[in-house]
Amino acid sequence: MKYINLNLTKQSKLIFNSPGDYIVYFENLSGDLVFDIKSSGVNLNIYGLYTGSKNSIYKVNTFQNHLEPSSTSDLLIKGVFYDASKFYYRGLIRLEKNAQKSHAYQKNQNILMSKNCYVDSKPYLEILANDVFCTHGSTTGKLNQDQLHYTMTRGLSRKASEDLLITGFINEIKQKILPKAQSI
Amino acid sequence: MVKQNDLNFDYKFGFSKPEKSVFRVKKGINEEIVSQISKIKKEPLWMKEFRLRSYRFFKKTKMPEWGADLSKIDFENIFYYIRATDKAMNSWEDLPSEIKDTYDRIGVPEAEKNFLAGVSAQYESEVVYESIQKELTKQGVIFCDMDTGLKKYPEIVKKYFGTIISPYDNKFAALNSSVWSGGSFVYVPRGVKVALPLQAYFRINARNFGQFERTLIIAEPESFVHYIEGCTAPIYTTSSLHSAVVEIIVKPGARVRYTTVQNWSKNVFNLVTKRARVEKNAVMEWVDCNIGSGVTMKYPSCFLVGDGAKGEVLSIAYAGSAQHQDAGAKMIHMAPNTTSRIVSKSISGHGGRTSYRGLVQVLPGASNSKVYVSCDALILDEESRSDTYPSMKINENEVDIQHEATVEKLGEEKLFYLQSRGISKSEAEGLLVNGFIEPVVKEIPLEYSIELNRLINLEMAGSVG
Repeated sequence: MKYINLNLTKQSKLIFNSPGDYIVYFENLSGDLVFDIKSSGVNLNIYGLYTGSKNSIYKVNTFQNHLEPSSTSDLLIKGVFYDASKFYYRGLIRLEKNAQKSHAYQKNQNILMSKNCYVDSKPYLEILANDVFCTHGSTTGKLNQDQLHYTMTRGLSRKASEDLLITGFINEIKQKILPKAQSI
Repeated sequence: MVKQNDLNFDYKFGFSKPEKSVFRVKKGINEEIVSQISKIKKEPLWMKEFRLRSYRFFKKTKMPEWGADLSKIDFENIFYYIRATDKAMNSWEDLPSEIKDTYDRIGVPEAEKNFLAGVSAQYESEVVYESIQKELTKQGVIFCDMDTGLKKYPEIVKKYFGTIISPYDNKFAALNSSVWSGGSFVYVPRGVKVALPLQAYFRINARNFGQFERTLIIAEPESFVHYIEGCTAPIYTTSSLHSAVVEIIVKPGARVRYTTVQNWSKNVFNLVTKRARVEKNAVMEWVDCNIGSGVTMKYPSCFLVGDGAKGEVLSIAYAGSAQHQDAGAKMIHMAPNTTSRIVSKSISGHGGRTSYRGLVQVLPGASNSKVYVSCDALILDEESRSDTYPSMKINENEVDIQHEATVEKLGEEKLFYLQSRGISKSEAEGLLVNGFIEPVVKEIPLEYSIELNRLINLEMAGSVG
């Protein structure tokens, strides 16, 4: 298991040449992030976290390029946006002809906390091999109103309820990477 | 039934009749030709000026740099206007036997016998045959070709023509606006529900001839109409261009469904702009099946401008050898409580390429909007390719946006199971593919869905793994 924190390593292009499990994490990074999988047996998890407030703008393009067969990549990017923040996400999964038996996943979930924030999400797929499995999903919206209502009936203020739900939303990623990050 | 050779089948509708055009303008396009088309059609001045303005924009606009490869289109090598017979005819019997024969082969009379409300069959660039059922006229519904519409109902046409899709929208909308010919004009008065679908058949039958039909549908408040467009075309070796514009206005509380079964032959560039304006509590449904053509670029759109408006696109794309289907949908939410749903099913085989390209945009103020997008793709063999290019631009937080896509191959276990029951591999594949597109196919009228299933089986017959 290899853990890579892109905020620390400052890399924008990662090449995976040998089989194994990898976890990549980044927070509020803009620019191109390229993941080239050039070996079979790579099991790559990519986690990205974004929190925007005031006039912050993040523009990120991710590339999951599978060049060899039988590898897996799984990307999850979560974002919470306040005020007039903007988030531009474009993610590409590209499976080359040679990348048979690949599995590639991509998920982008955004929560909009203000009427003035703006999200532009483009989860792209380019699949040139046939014996593969690929999915992507994207959801954008406000906090779950039922959950918010429930926590408020338990006596929490709206602000505290919102914070609680957002912490839960973000923790899905934190919990996946924390044990790994600490063990290094 | 004649059994077809599994590996070497001919395009079912690939026959062509000797050309017998009464009139055609010269090849190529310039201001003179555009004015000439307008003059031949005896159009009012405003339309001539509209055509010329559009042409000037077309000329200065660059080709789109995204999407499919359009470099093989040679605008100078196309006839922009041909008229097959002198005027539109009313009854089937009066049609020249040659044209009738061509239609017989696609089965127009058969379809008509069954439940056609009216056929408006476009042969070459003008509608030569149209039969409008009496009830339609009684209800006040207008269903005619666009040229007749312009002559007989100039006020309605002038009021709406080019308002939904401006000629400056894109290069091909501009081209269509400058040389358009034929297409349908449909007007449904307030409260009228048209029980039977209106159908039109389009056909290209001249070498190097581009077809530029123009359709305008106006549904007054609380009305309903289902319009069906289906096309098949003969095979030619030189490239053909089909560039249509379809404008639809769905007024408050009205519902319009527009079904397309597109089966152009593989040398056709099919570049179509389709858009609907959906007003308060109105519903617009596009059912879009793309089976034929070499290159298709088509993204039916709904502009949801009224409170509670609803838009839906159901789409099927099949790309076989040397085909690129770049299809999708656009949903623009401009008012509160609007909902949109896009379901796209694409299949690529024999080296074909399908691309889903879609846009969902939620503008400020479109609160409580709901969006659901689902794109599924099947890749049948390793020569083929599938792309998904969705875009979601969200400028409002009181929304619920969902998008999901999957890409996979035919399930081996399912295939194995079917084969173990004694079904041949190609039959089993056809069965699974038809099952895959079933959620969309069940939305189209029976005669079309049967034809579609048959086409899929025909296409699948060649894909021996």
